[in-house]
Amino acid sequence: MRELTYREALYEALDQSMKEDERVFLIGEDIGVYGGAFGVSADLQKKYGRDRVIDSPISEAGIAGACVGSAITGMRPVGEIMFSDFVVLCMEQLVLQAAKIRFMFGGKAKVPMVLRLPGGSGTGAAAQHSGSYENWFVHVPGLKVVMPSTPYDAKGLLLAAIADDNPVMFFENKLLYKTKGPVPEEMYTLPIGKSNVVREGKDVTIVATSVEVIRSLEAADKLAEEGIEAEVIDPRTLNPLDMEPITKSIIKTGKALVVHEAAKTGGFGGEVVARIIESEAFAYLDAPVRRLAGLDMPIPYNRNLEYHAAPQVENIVEETRKLVQGVY
Amino acid sequence: MAKEIIMPKFGFTQEESEILEWLKKDGDKVEKGDPIATVSTDKLSMEVEAPESGILSGVRYKVGDVVPVTKIIAYILQPGEALPTDAETAAPALTPKPAEVPAVSTEPAATGNATPVAQRMMQDAGIGAGVLQGSGPDGKITKADVEAYIAQPKVEKPVGKAAATPAARRVAAEGSINLASITGSGPKGRIQEADVRNMAAAPIAQTAGTTASAEPTRIPLRGMRRIIAENMTKSWQQAPEITFQVDINMDTARTLREVSAKKVNGVMKKFSYTALLTKIVAWALLRHPTMNSRLEGNEVVLLPYVHMGVGVAIPDGLIVPVIKNTEQKGIFQIHDELKDLAERARNNKLVPEDLEGGTFTISNLGMYGIDRFTAIINPPQSAILAVGNIVEKFVPDENKNPVLKPIMSVVAIADHRVIDGAVVAEFLADVKKGLENPGVMIL
Repeated sequence: MRELTYREALYEALDQSMKEDERVFLIGEDIGVYGGAFGVSADLQKKYGRDRVIDSPISEAGIAGACVGSAITGMRPVGEIMFSDFVVLCMEQLVLQAAKIRFMFGGKAKVPMVLRLPGGSGTGAAAQHSGSYENWFVHVPGLKVVMPSTPYDAKGLLLAAIADDNPVMFFENKLLYKTKGPVPEEMYTLPIGKSNVVREGKDVTIVATSVEVIRSLEAADKLAEEGIEAEVIDPRTLNPLDMEPITKSIIKTGKALVVHEAAKTGGFGGEVVARIIESEAFAYLDAPVRRLAGLDMPIPYNRNLEYHAAPQVENIVEETRKLVQGVY
Repeated sequence: MAKEIIMPKFGFTQEESEILEWLKKDGDKVEKGDPIATVSTDKLSMEVEAPESGILSGVRYKVGDVVPVTKIIAYILQPGEALPTDAETAAPALTPKPAEVPAVSTEPAATGNATPVAQRMMQDAGIGAGVLQGSGPDGKITKADVEAYIAQPKVEKPVGKAAATPAARRVAAEGSINLASITGSGPKGRIQEADVRNMAAAPIAQTAGTTASAEPTRIPLRGMRRIIAENMTKSWQQAPEITFQVDINMDTARTLREVSAKKVNGVMKKFSYTALLTKIVAWALLRHPTMNSRLEGNEVVLLPYVHMGVGVAIPDGLIVPVIKNTEQKGIFQIHDELKDLAERARNNKLVPEDLEGGTFTISNLGMYGIDRFTAIINPPQSAILAVGNIVEKFVPDENKNPVLKPIMSVVAIADHRVIDGAVVAEFLADVKKGLENPGVMIL
């Protein structure tokens, strides 16, 4: 199969769905003439015109509001928040409107919108442009939260998100845009709400999201050299969360590590751990479930400090090794 | 600059502490506030904390050493720093040879009959003399002995549920295996799934192992045990004891408890027999001050207050928390304080002040069903009261007919150097009077 980058896979998903369905349009800051801060929308304005690829004013609330309103009237908007950090300005539109409308109108109205949210640290963009806020939305019933880690998942999940009749928060990762992987040429969707076992192993289960999936896979390769076989699971969608492969894996391994980039306190890892404890996997745990997450601090500007604020490959290796060796 | 760690003084009367355990080793990195050693005070185990962050160095004493308070026990160094030289830290004569580690580690007395290599290893591992049995010629401790000892899993068995992972519990439940019978290989002795499976897989080997190790258990005499041993020996050797016993009719005391439990001033309030006894003994002690005294050199010191020590059994021994100024307190306050002290004693939450300054001791073994017993005086006190069970007994009434009465035996033990027999007799008579007819206390 041909290989595309994560960015190209997203572009292809947008291009194909715009070609097929004229209700699909894009709105965001600098996504048209400039092609998007990370180049995801590239030449789509040239291809589809200024009505379908809209350069918005610098108003995140406006982008989100336009998405909610047009979605209710039957469009399929895909909004882009240039840096996911600024989604904080969209909160009222997303949490009080998008998430609630279908419920409050007894199903007579729906909000089929997607908001693309490039997030994460590691680019030297400092505290206001490096955040990971996905778990805020996991906590809001009525919103779906998707977080792909590979080009294949990015295309399949973005197409699924556009086809979904509910508002979908689509968290991309800036460091992943240049990563490559096999991507089919045809339009295909991946089910929202299905976890993916990306590597099989018998000694320990690592549940990781987004860029930490890639780091966990690298860590698993290193651990394999020491004879430790880690199973790596990517939930891909944080809400709804598919626990089945996770509990099944822990019943096999007895040990679990949850890895994500967002700050540990109040993070998605807490939800995963809680669900593990509540599940039948509890009785198979042979060690405490551990979380490896971002430090509880704003992302520093200093590149060395920034590096250490998020879990890196060596941290995952060490933590997993300790877990397997019975240090915890 | 090298920061000195001194043996702290935890209590007013404390002059020395025994080092029970080094929680950090020479060369370990420590953070300010980290516990670095456990030491015993009069009766409690306390932790010595790092006064500064850095590297623990120049540890001067080993486990089992008794160190005077304020003496330097080790240093905290910053990277690149060296230990202070002998001249800078010349320690007073009382202290064992200080300073450099090698000096201490080559001291033969430290590790007893051991080969030089074994001595060094014991020093490094903080193993005190008397802990190991030597297998070499003439019982010399060898390198192999120390290695074997260090290799033993040191499992602290906590009170309560066994520490086990959920998986271990599930496998144990499936095989009807008692977790208490398994030694855990996980952190802090936690039982892992594999431990249970091994146990289930090798029941015969396990039994054989138990038989082979049918040797006496040797527990080093240290900490509270050692202090109790010393105090009791001192008391037994120095104080010529006289012992008096009296039976007390607890009818009235029982009624008083029942009445109180029902209603006092519209409020139900309970108190224990020990609380009542404490109150009445305090009253009797004020009437017979020599019973509440201590011998200091050539003087008998009569104390104007009663600090009542009340014995409480805890897993490691017996502890005697003190109710200060018992004579000024009402029965309910005494009851509440006793309850609080006993609870904290069992949870290891007592502070040194709780144990200090007792002027008299009550030891009550009634709850164990003991009829009567004698006790040894707790120095520097001059007397102790041993209290037994309350038993229904037939006693003659005024018409010489047998009637059943609740009878409690109390035994007073006194130091005859200080107290004459007649005084003890009068004191006991007052305790009896007070319990049988509490009204006398207001006359």
